[in-house]
Amino acid sequence: MIKGKQHTAQLIILFFLVLMIILAWYAGLSTSRLINDSLIRVFMNGVLVLSLLPMLNAGAGINYGLPVGIQAGLLGMCTAVNFGCQGLLGFTAALLLSAFFAVLFGYVYALILNHLKGREEIAGIFIGFSTVYLMCFFWATAPYSNPAMLWPIGGQGLRLTIGLQDYFFKVLNHLWVINIGHFILPLGMGLFFVCLCFLTYLFFKTKLGTAINAVGENPAFCKLSGINIDRTRTMAIILSTVLAALGICVYAQSFGFIELYEAPLMMAFPAASAILIGGSKGASTSILQVILGTFLFQSVYVYTGPVANTLLMPEVSEIVRVIMVNGIILYALIYAGRREQA
Amino acid sequence: MESILKLQNISKRFEQHEVLKSVSLEIRPGEIHGLIGENGAGKSTLLNILFGRSIVHQTGGFSGNIYFNGHKVRIRNSQDAIALGIGMVHQEFALIPNMNVAENITIGSEATFRYRHQTDGYQLALINKKANHAQAKNILDRLGVTINTNQYIETLSVNLKQFVELAREINKNDLKLLILDEPTAALGQEDAERLLEILQQLSNAGIAIILVSHRLEEIMSVCDNITVLRDGEVSGRFSKESFDLKQIAASMIGRSVEQVQSRARKHSGRTILQYRNFSVEMPGESIENINLDIYEGEIIGIAGLAGHGKLALGNGTLGIYPSSGQVLFNDTFIDCADTTAALNHGLYLLAEERRETGLLLDHSIMENIIFSAVQQQNKFLKPFIFPSLRLINKKTAVDYTRESIKRLDIRCRNQQQKVRLLSGGNQQKVCLARAIVMEPRILFVAEPTRGIDIGAKEIILQELLNINRKMGTTIIVASSELDELKRICDRIVIMYEGRIFAVLAADCDPLELALALSGKRSDEL
Repeated sequence: MIKGKQHTAQLIILFFLVLMIILAWYAGLSTSRLINDSLIRVFMNGVLVLSLLPMLNAGAGINYGLPVGIQAGLLGMCTAVNFGCQGLLGFTAALLLSAFFAVLFGYVYALILNHLKGREEIAGIFIGFSTVYLMCFFWATAPYSNPAMLWPIGGQGLRLTIGLQDYFFKVLNHLWVINIGHFILPLGMGLFFVCLCFLTYLFFKTKLGTAINAVGENPAFCKLSGINIDRTRTMAIILSTVLAALGICVYAQSFGFIELYEAPLMMAFPAASAILIGGSKGASTSILQVILGTFLFQSVYVYTGPVANTLLMPEVSEIVRVIMVNGIILYALIYAGRREQA
Repeated sequence: MESILKLQNISKRFEQHEVLKSVSLEIRPGEIHGLIGENGAGKSTLLNILFGRSIVHQTGGFSGNIYFNGHKVRIRNSQDAIALGIGMVHQEFALIPNMNVAENITIGSEATFRYRHQTDGYQLALINKKANHAQAKNILDRLGVTINTNQYIETLSVNLKQFVELAREINKNDLKLLILDEPTAALGQEDAERLLEILQQLSNAGIAIILVSHRLEEIMSVCDNITVLRDGEVSGRFSKESFDLKQIAASMIGRSVEQVQSRARKHSGRTILQYRNFSVEMPGESIENINLDIYEGEIIGIAGLAGHGKLALGNGTLGIYPSSGQVLFNDTFIDCADTTAALNHGLYLLAEERRETGLLLDHSIMENIIFSAVQQQNKFLKPFIFPSLRLINKKTAVDYTRESIKRLDIRCRNQQQKVRLLSGGNQQKVCLARAIVMEPRILFVAEPTRGIDIGAKEIILQELLNINRKMGTTIIVASSELDELKRICDRIVIMYEGRIFAVLAADCDPLELALALSGKRSDEL
């Protein structure tokens, strides 16, 4: 019974998911299409959720400063698009550029967070918010020259959204697609996500990875073992930022657009919700929790929309989703508080 | 006489694990009742039930009946317990650090101005500070402690905090039953004796007392009756006439114990570590201008009351707290601010707060044991181009851990069990195992047996001897257990007020040692 209590959140979501599938079927929606959509959304968002893991394990809490990494990714992609990189090779170039910028961004981000130990989550929210607006200046004045990216009138400053149709639109989605009846399995995109998960898993089995885990649990202990705590945390934060940058690249190529300016503002919250549904309890989050959380969260996300639109009224789905995202974070906070009391 | 407290068949389980099995207990007014048992025997759980701690109810409550003053009662929370007249002195202090002594003592029962009490009711009445300070001072005088009641709790030493905590409980007018959980653990001998005297006085005044302690001698000296718990069951009941240390100890651990004893040796004559005007700023444990030579291969004990600086030497040498002065290791100067360099020289520290700084509680036994060696010496790693990205070689690590578990007799399910789930003694064994992998030249150990039951204690002491004799490691043990220091050390350094008061041979007169602790020499008497 106590075991059940630990997994209440997952059980509620799972129940909700089953309810949604029944309702979808009742409303006459195509279930196989919905399942396909949810699978694609898992691969699309999975890397962003995965990017929270290193910082969680380093004891820096949920990375609400996810926009920092996301903007490194946007910068990388914009640069790739500016040089006209196309196809899978172009996408790889975008990934590499993003990772490069993410290392720089992550380092600065880590410098700030190492001054704010214990308050990383709230600090992350504000660092995220402020960098988004700081970058607005950059997007408006960036010295890019590809006309497809610039405002058609005036020819200066990047557009709000940059279409990827001619560059690397859905290169991962369309890589090694397997059709099983109505069901479509995007193998390439899936493999990309699974590979990153596996590499992260391996990383936490290495010397540095175990040090990060230990720092997250007990910094005093690590000091006695001669570990440089700030350096270890910096590594974790950079890794989180790099993964976030790669995550937004995967997201954007699937979505079809690079969204600039204020778009990254709220992107940390769905990812945070997902990892919390997965059952993350702070400093010992597993890859399995990341995958489970992304799956549950994104499936519910996919199902509620069409179902709510069909059964209730159009456009209600967005409201339901916002309540869901923030409700789950709230639930997790209450749950965490109760564990501390006991 | 009518009993004040009667427990009938109290049982409690945490998930699958039964921690209390039908425990019954009866206490008369004015009786001092000793409750003893090894770690994990269920003492704390029993106390938590009595005091209505929320953890008991959050984990599914308990079964059995509690009778207080002849009436059946339900204690649902601590307020219920307090209303009945039950007071508790906690092992980890329940004091508010940034309030002063008087406020802490009178909390919940503050004196107020009478007219405000009448107009606004007690909850909103203005507090009469002067009366509260007088009341607090009165209580402290009765305890024979002199503290300025304006002082903030955070500035007090550990032993004074213990007395403030006791004063707060005694201050309650309707106190009928006082529960003390390891009240003397943090106290030196002198303070402990004073505390026991106070307990006698309270008992004479008709207050029943439940005393939990690891120190069997003091339990035997003050208690009227003793109940021994083992694995959640009552394994023995003794009354004053039938007290016998050996029998009590045997009923605690279910077998008899053999004490470790080594003979003090002459030192090798080669110094390995030299301190010159060494000072360490460690809050509450600072030392100043220490000059000390430590010889290769010896076990040297550091004794001293709490607050006199016995812990600072290790913490300062390993760079945990800032230090000044010079330290020579093998005749070369070392930089004490650099923990990594010290570890590379072969120095290692097992700190006094095992659970806070000595263990990764949510990691497995294996991860705890190999951690330092992996991080500092690149042991148990597979080859890879980037040194810090080398994978841990699971096979060698598991093999080594299994061997350690067997050698140190760590009681656990397997090497993957989380350290949090182990008892204190087994946790300390894990710490020792971690030090052994490092193969240190010099090992600092602080309070190796604090809060550990008698069976595991001997294993740990024996293992310290083994490390010293077989690996040739020089060991520096800081401990408040004089008897244990005498048994395993070659020399004992006595710290008094942050300075070295005396260096005695381990086979010296116990009286001389006890006197030195309080800063007196036997020839001064």
